Amino acid sequence: MALAEDTAIDLSSMPEAASALADIRAMVQPCIQCGTCTGSCPNEFAMDLTPRHMWRLVLLGRTEDVLASRTFSLCSACYMCTLRCPRGLPLTEAIGRLKQLAARRHLSHLRSGDLFYRNFIASVRRHGRVREMEFMGLYFAQMMNPWLPLRYADMGMRLMRRGKVTLQLPSRGGGGLNRLFEKVAEMENRS
Amino acid sequence: MKKKIGKALVVGAGIAGIRSALDLAETGYGVVLIDKAEHIGGVLSQLDYQFPTNHCGMCRMLPLVERDAGSQFCLRKGLFHENIEILLGTRVTAVSGEPGRFSVSLRTRPTHVDPQRCTGCGACVSVCPVEVPDAFNAGLGRRKAIYLPVPHQVPNAYVIDPAACTRCGACVEACPCGAITLSTAERRDFRILVVDDEAIVRQSLQSWLEDEGFAVDGAASGPEALEALEKTEYQLMLSDIKMAGMDGVELLTQAKALRPDLAVVLMTAYATVETAVAAMKIGALDYLVKPFDPDTLVPMVARVHEELLAAKDRQVEVGAIVLAGGTDYFDPRQEAANPYGYGRIAGVVTSLEFERILSGCGPSAGRLTRPHDGRPIRKIAWLQCVGSRDIQCGADFCSSICCMYAVKEAMLAKERGGGDVEAAIFYMDMRCFGKSFQRYRDWAEAEGVRFERGRIHSVTPVFPSGDPALRFVALDGTVREESFDLVVLAVGQRPARGTAELAQMADLPLNPWGFLATSPLSAVRTERPGIVAGGSFAGLRDIGESVIFASAASSEAARVLHGTGGSLAAAENETTEFRDVSRQLPRLLVAVCTCGGHILPQGDRPQWIQRLKRNPAVQEMIFIERVCTAEGWQALADAITAHQPNRVLIGACHPYVFIRRLRELGRRTRLHPALMDVVDLLGPRMAASGVHGDPARDSDDLPRRLAMAAARLEKTCRPQVEAMPVRRQALVVGGGIAGMTAALAIADCGYPVDLVEAGAQLGGNLRWIGQTLDGHDLNALLEDTTARAGKHPKITIHTNTRVRGAFGEVGHFYSTLEAGDGAVQTLEHGVVVLATGGGEAVTTAYGFGSHPAIVTQKGFQTGLAEGRLDPSALNTVVMIQCVGSREEPRNFCSRVCCPTTIKQALALKKENPEATVVVLYRDMMTYGFAETYFTQARRAGVVFVAYRPEDKPKVAVTGPDLPVTVTVTDPVLGRPLTVEADAVVLATGIAPGLPADLAAAYGATLDPDGFLAEAESKWRPVDSLHEGVFACGLALGPRNVEESIATGGAAAQRALRILEREYLPAAHLTAVVRHSLCARCGRCIEACPYEARRLDEELDKVLVNPAMCQGCGACEAVCPNGAAVLNGLSMPQMFGLLDQALA
Repeated sequence: MALAEDTAIDLSSMPEAASALADIRAMVQPCIQCGTCTGSCPNEFAMDLTPRHMWRLVLLGRTEDVLASRTFSLCSACYMCTLRCPRGLPLTEAIGRLKQLAARRHLSHLRSGDLFYRNFIASVRRHGRVREMEFMGLYFAQMMNPWLPLRYADMGMRLMRRGKVTLQLPSRGGGGLNRLFEKVAEMENRS
Repeated sequence: MKKKIGKALVVGAGIAGIRSALDLAETGYGVVLIDKAEHIGGVLSQLDYQFPTNHCGMCRMLPLVERDAGSQFCLRKGLFHENIEILLGTRVTAVSGEPGRFSVSLRTRPTHVDPQRCTGCGACVSVCPVEVPDAFNAGLGRRKAIYLPVPHQVPNAYVIDPAACTRCGACVEACPCGAITLSTAERRDFRILVVDDEAIVRQSLQSWLEDEGFAVDGAASGPEALEALEKTEYQLMLSDIKMAGMDGVELLTQAKALRPDLAVVLMTAYATVETAVAAMKIGALDYLVKPFDPDTLVPMVARVHEELLAAKDRQVEVGAIVLAGGTDYFDPRQEAANPYGYGRIAGVVTSLEFERILSGCGPSAGRLTRPHDGRPIRKIAWLQCVGSRDIQCGADFCSSICCMYAVKEAMLAKERGGGDVEAAIFYMDMRCFGKSFQRYRDWAEAEGVRFERGRIHSVTPVFPSGDPALRFVALDGTVREESFDLVVLAVGQRPARGTAELAQMADLPLNPWGFLATSPLSAVRTERPGIVAGGSFAGLRDIGESVIFASAASSEAARVLHGTGGSLAAAENETTEFRDVSRQLPRLLVAVCTCGGHILPQGDRPQWIQRLKRNPAVQEMIFIERVCTAEGWQALADAITAHQPNRVLIGACHPYVFIRRLRELGRRTRLHPALMDVVDLLGPRMAASGVHGDPARDSDDLPRRLAMAAARLEKTCRPQVEAMPVRRQALVVGGGIAGMTAALAIADCGYPVDLVEAGAQLGGNLRWIGQTLDGHDLNALLEDTTARAGKHPKITIHTNTRVRGAFGEVGHFYSTLEAGDGAVQTLEHGVVVLATGGGEAVTTAYGFGSHPAIVTQKGFQTGLAEGRLDPSALNTVVMIQCVGSREEPRNFCSRVCCPTTIKQALALKKENPEATVVVLYRDMMTYGFAETYFTQARRAGVVFVAYRPEDKPKVAVTGPDLPVTVTVTDPVLGRPLTVEADAVVLATGIAPGLPADLAAAYGATLDPDGFLAEAESKWRPVDSLHEGVFACGLALGPRNVEESIATGGAAAQRALRILEREYLPAAHLTAVVRHSLCARCGRCIEACPYEARRLDEELDKVLVNPAMCQGCGACEAVCPNGAAVLNGLSMPQMFGLLDQALA
């Protein structure tokens, strides 16, 4: 989604408490926009907004503008920016919160990543590890794009040749790990 | 100097220490000046060029009144003053006592080279086998274990680095003067006991230390060690902590009971470091963390050995102590990640290393070449805020100096490279907050220095060249990569090494940033009366500020010395009645120091005598083996008594070494020291021949030099030293905090002060500021200071009074005061301090005046204080910085507005946490510790938006009752932001309040912005060019309350130098006018840089004020008639000298 670059942002109506971003904003409040995060980000080339730009929007409480970008979803959590930030801000952690916020809203432009992540975790919960064939199959099915598997075909073949991925029969068992997830969810709800 | 009524100790002989010492010495106090380094000058000995002149100019700190009491030559080389005793390689080991009577223990590290005997020939260096990184060149070069601390120091004796020295003894044999004592016997007498239950550790330690020449024994357990200690006397015990049976701490306690003088060093595994630290509290000297190698152990044992050798501490009794220990620089390797690859990537250097690259005496002799491969440097990047403004490395402060030195280095690099050097500075905020700094920065930009806003996250080497490359994001969001020949890390300041120890020893607290804590609003006074902090020891200051704070510190010290009655009276110098030789024909005694055959081989004597005796005025010629020794000096004094010459010429080594001794000789022989001269023969001898060269290459060179000096001395007359009487009373114009501080400082030293204030009340700007950024209450300060000034018996306050006219010169001014009721009176005074202050600048920008919501910072502050503004009703506030500042015509930073904005924003957020506060700024000038509050403001949710001067914010007023709309472009988003503000606060900055005619009446000048033009912005920051006229506070330039108070103290101290004298003596080297030849053309008056000349219209004569004349000779050079004559360098003298040179 393109940002309206020339529309003025009105700061007077900056919603302090109501904003969905409030707690994330509080985490990065001391930011001085020095740009160290952008300079150190290895994924910056693929982002539509630079990290500095995105944090600036966070600081100004622009929830919609932030969630409209793909920047935070492309973070690979390498922690480089957190390590180098002269203000010592927990940037990677704040990005994690942004990802959660976005996931709760089921944003259409992040649908692909969202489904990929959900199916990955679902596979892990079921089997205690990821079962590639099942996970990719479900992902392709939910994406409802017949051409999508073809985009992955080449990579899939290569992975198979090296024995990284094997054809497996669907399995239902062995999911002891799920109990752990449930316990965590229970503990989180309690607190 | 007639009397010494007290003594002070100055710790640290950097620029601030030198300033403090000179201040006190010029005021007549005795000073002991110490430094832990082997040289004076501190870090400035490594920095050759300073902005804004891009030159040095340190010599301008030298005494201007009674010049003959000190040396008058390059201060980078050395300092001599008859009231200052300098102890190098010395540190404080204990402080006790109270103001007026401190007892301080000083420990001097032995250098193993006798400075009296060392001639600096360098024979030792050529044979020394050890090479270590050269600290003077910031590690860029290498030096030997015997070395010169600073290559250009005078006198320059070699010293031995005990940690590096292997005691091979080669230098002892090579030294032609026998100046080096390095007996291995000393080490053999140093008995060490190694206690460890592991035989392997014991044996390796034993063999390492025995290789170094120590006597070592071993013990396998505590009881065994105690047994050994009973039998033999050991000086040092190295003991393990973890041992079966008796552990190291227990052993320490028992061993100390047995031998209290035993030095104990504990060896510990990493896990028990805390135990070792605890053990230091019960008497252990130090500890070593296992595992360690000989490189750690040996220097430590060597150090302990050296310390014990020097253990005979010297006790000095002083009345006051000035701590001027300076600061250190951040070491980028300290940061665990070291993202800039310093020490890892070739081509990444620190700013100090770059200063050495620029230096003519540096590793590349001043050529711009890379230290690691010698390739020419064509493209350089400076990375700002390395170790500053970085919470991750514990620096929530701005180092205050790096922006400007980076600009300076960029300018020097451009100049050096002849225009084809690319220079880029990567910065977060360009903090050019000092007087004239903004214009210097603009000049740099015009010269092509690139300023890139953005912090660099790391440096990576480029393949395959290995050059350092930077990846950074430009303001428009594009990420760029660029490689450079050299990356300079602009490293920030850190508390000086040893600050914590010194503070602990003197029982003084540190501030949260690790610097010495000072009393609120004083910045020089510490918690302990009588101990003051000078220079940058208690804060982050550049050269000019350090000099101001050093003078402020000496003013406090002088106050203590005076207040305690100068109870440590030193001997009073009697005045000597010199022989009157003016009617005698010149009779010269020429004494030549043979320097053990170094200067003059035995066989050359007849030739020298013959050469000198060609001048009939040379009556006698004698040869002395070593004139610098006590015997040699006695031989000289005896010869003077025997021959009764009326001129004495000494051919020896450096003349500056002899200044103090000549005065003493003059007193002994009743011959005026002006009729004695010293010629340096050793220097030319060394330069011409070297040690191993042929001394006979120009056999006539040295006798010719001697003959030239003899010819000059022959025609020297003892000058009629005019002494100007001093009206020992001061006038302070302006009753703000700076003026009051200055008045109190002068009055507290016993001199009457007239304090003139144009307004009805004292206090100036202090009446509205309320409190400082760090929360100190200024109303209390105002009340306290006005009360003290009001009831001081020596201060006369004239409120509602203006200075209508003035004339006169240093020592005696006349000023006419006009009171509000028209009453006029004339005051006579010796000095004047201009403290006329300043106010908030007026503006018409941003719709000021068109809407009640648009106010200035002062309006906002007073509005809140008086209740006109209700913070709870202010939901949106916009603060605009740099209104009419930092652009022509007011192209300077007022430096108080950004901290004021932070203060007001934080106060508003505290009262009304829901309020939106938006600050529109260009560069936030929260220098020094104010940076902490900038961080706090960000954390509190204040929004900061940087605007560019070419795209200023727009303020739109729609109606008187409607909010004001402010629009600004956000540089990061590239989008406009709008705010509907309940209040718009304009930071308009400071406008000076010094009337040009008032300054002119006292002979002072104003700078382009209307502040007083100081004599020199770094070295004489509170003096005007006209001696006797000083300025402080806002009249001098923008500064905050604490800094204004410091300038008040500094100006008072400068004034006290003059007031402490009944007469201002002129130096021997001063200009006079031959009125019969003078055509009154006035060229000399224009040429005089010290404004010492004026045309007296009544007498119709050009007069020279001998106290102000500095003997530079500019007048003599411009005078078309030869009417301007410089005493001591007259025509007959110079012609005589030239005749001998060509003879």
